[in-house]
Amino acid sequence: MSGVPLSGYLGVSGALFLLGLYGVITRRNPLLLLLAVELLLNGANVALVGFSRYWNNTDGQIFALVVMVVAAAEVVIGLGLVVAVFRQRMNLDVDELSTLKG
Amino acid sequence: MGEQIAFGVLAAGALACGVLVVTLSNAFRATVALIGTLLSVAGIFLLLSAPFVAFVQVIVYAGAIVTLFLFVLAYLGPRAMLPEDRLARFQVFGWIVVLVLLWQGIVVVLSTQLPGVRSEPKPVGDIGSPQAIGDSFLRDHLLPFEATSLVLLVAAVGAVLLAKRAVLRERGR
Repeated sequence: MSGVPLSGYLGVSGALFLLGLYGVITRRNPLLLLLAVELLLNGANVALVGFSRYWNNTDGQIFALVVMVVAAAEVVIGLGLVVAVFRQRMNLDVDELSTLKG
Repeated sequence: MGEQIAFGVLAAGALACGVLVVTLSNAFRATVALIGTLLSVAGIFLLLSAPFVAFVQVIVYAGAIVTLFLFVLAYLGPRAMLPEDRLARFQVFGWIVVLVLLWQGIVVVLSTQLPGVRSEPKPVGDIGSPQAIGDSFLRDHLLPFEATSLVLLVAAVGAVLLAKRAVLRERGR
């Protein structure tokens, strides 16, 4: 046994995803919530690149790169919203940002 | 053997920093802990013979995204009232969701018949170099590539609009 089987990488990927999920559920500060979302996306990326390596195929890495672009866009919009909310209300709490609630 | 040691170190680093990201109450420290996770994940990408993705991970994530977080934190400063985490019943709910999904993931990984999940890694050809990635993007995945540029454009315009409206409101008062 000289290498690591894919299940090892899938384990890391799943653990990162679950950590991020726990963070998304418990955090109330939108900045920390966005950090937890980054953990979720990184967990998914590890699985994608892992499958790409073990199936000898570049497609998984393409997916991972697209996920990174989406993550960058999401962070830009998310932080823009945080700053806009902070300038108007001076209170960052996702439980109180319920004006758009249906 | 070397790969196993490197994998163990990187996985432990990624998970330890990840735990810090979701538990630290200081937003600045949590952001710095995220850098550890991102760099460890970049190392894992190198182990998976994906050097280009690893470099993009370092440049885009650890470089651009974390810097943006730190800028916003510095801009908000201590004036930002940072609410405490939801604990109590939200924490119980979080643990239930995490444990159920963990159990499900373990069952799936142990029972799956997908190729390569439990076998030794086979030697691979050139799948991670910039040339291979570029070939794949421009030959097989041209539409996602162009859609990506559209996403980035919309995100940039949206960020400018959000910031501009906030500034105008503030001046109007």
